[in-house]
Amino acid sequence: MASAASAVSAPSRAEVLGLLRSLLRTAAKFSDYNVREYVRRRSLDGFRENKELYDPAAAAAAFAAAKSQLEVARRQAVVYSLYAPKVKSVLEIKSI
Amino acid sequence: MSTSSSSRVLLGRLPLLFCRRRLSTAAAAAAAPASASASASEGEGKKEEEVGGGGGGGVISMKGVRISGRPLYLDMQATTPVDPRVLDAMLPFYLSRFGNPHSRTHLYGWESDAAVEAARAQVAALIGADPKEVFFTSGATESNNISVKGLMRFHRDRKRHVVTTQTEHKCVLDSCRWLQQEGFEVTYLPVRPDGLVDLDALAAAIRPDTGLVSVMAVNNEIGVVQPLEDIGCICRDKGVPFHTDAAQALGKIPIDVARMGVALMSLSGHKIYGPKGVGALYLRRRPRVRVEPQMSGGGQERGIRSGTVPTPLAVGMGAACEIAAREMDYDNRRIAALQARLLEGIRSRVDDVVVNGSVEHRYPGNLNLSFAYVEGESLLMGLKEVAVSSGSACTSASLEPSYVLRALGVDEDMAHTSIRFGIGRFTTEAEIDRAVELTVQQVRKLREMSPLYEMAKAGIDLKSIQWAQH
Repeated sequence: MASAASAVSAPSRAEVLGLLRSLLRTAAKFSDYNVREYVRRRSLDGFRENKELYDPAAAAAAFAAAKSQLEVARRQAVVYSLYAPKVKSVLEIKSI
Repeated sequence: MSTSSSSRVLLGRLPLLFCRRRLSTAAAAAAAPASASASASEGEGKKEEEVGGGGGGGVISMKGVRISGRPLYLDMQATTPVDPRVLDAMLPFYLSRFGNPHSRTHLYGWESDAAVEAARAQVAALIGADPKEVFFTSGATESNNISVKGLMRFHRDRKRHVVTTQTEHKCVLDSCRWLQQEGFEVTYLPVRPDGLVDLDALAAAIRPDTGLVSVMAVNNEIGVVQPLEDIGCICRDKGVPFHTDAAQALGKIPIDVARMGVALMSLSGHKIYGPKGVGALYLRRRPRVRVEPQMSGGGQERGIRSGTVPTPLAVGMGAACEIAAREMDYDNRRIAALQARLLEGIRSRVDDVVVNGSVEHRYPGNLNLSFAYVEGESLLMGLKEVAVSSGSACTSASLEPSYVLRALGVDEDMAHTSIRFGIGRFTTEAEIDRAVELTVQQVRKLREMSPLYEMAKAGIDLKSIQWAQH
């Protein structure tokens, strides 16, 4: 049992923090206000939710899922910036 | 093009620099001819975007309205933005994997078919159905048409009656009207003032020759959630197929076709952060629901809906359904909190605000408010920096107040002043706060100008006034 569990190793703290940092950096690259805020918020909330995952297999699975989401976010940040409208959202421009 | 046109562009820009100050303070009508001449060489019509210096953006001038940026989007019931994860899933099928899923002879067809079947399974998983029971259509409107007209026409010899409600989506009501012209009978059940259908009235309305009961799951205008399990129970006991339009419900409330006793269900892609132009129809297999197809052709989708299945759109809908299944709890928690924030924010600053529809049995992302003593069109005109709607997009062309609000028994003047706020996955707290500020500001401004409000505040009962004829 123990050997089966140790075959899948949980990611280290540094790896997890590095992944979160990459996600937040990628979030900042989105030109669309709503998507940018969503990626940022969802990454933070997602990592916070999974903070207590002590089972190495579950932790590794969550890490892999987050990694694939990072790839999606990287690609989409490029696509969104290619087609960014010239005018930004009202929230980003001025206060009332 | 030629150098003369480029120099004309340069000369055209110069007066623009000089008259920028004038443009910023002039009325929209005066601004339109000035900027129209500047951009005449570009040949643009109504929409102009000047890239200005101050503010880091530009100004949008369209339909006589000038706004400094793209409005906050709070109209999620009309449509939702495509989730970037959905777009990521769809793009390969526009680029290299563009095959027709019905081509049997080559890789392009095989991979396209595999993608469509995978998407079908994702949609089925979200509603607790078998993939064989899910058929892709062009949208919930088409699915509603197939359900209502297709089912009744198939059973035209034995079943001649349909039961539906007065608050259904226009496509269901219009299909029923079509059936009436063909000789069927339709009962349009009234709803209670909170928007919920009366279960006893429903049971009483079902006759031996009733072929279909159609009640929508979540109303698009008022957000009320109908008691689907109870209705399903009644229909199962009476042996009548139960159809529900779940376009607004999919991915937002948990749906299980077995638990709800649903025989037919219409689903829409663009209400769950998927692409526009795709939807699905669920048809129960046990007991088998038979419909007459509305689209004739090559017999695709098991003969139910002919026509090439649009692979990228189907894949997008499948991805959207999968994401919705994962994110439903997280999204609903956030959206409920945002709705509370919006309602509290408005109610604490402005009085005489009425929520249309039941407050308990409602999907939190839909908030339909009526502001007394305020005219709806002028309120909307002043809220140009917030994209909201009054009534539903389908009925906004006519000047009639919304038939849904009329069915709830809302007074004409309150129905005209209703605003529907739609909150979604991508809505932020800052947007809600800004929407509250703008709405409160506009309502206060209009009420200040309103003589009716003055009279009401003085204690006069407006309904008792005898208006003099001129």
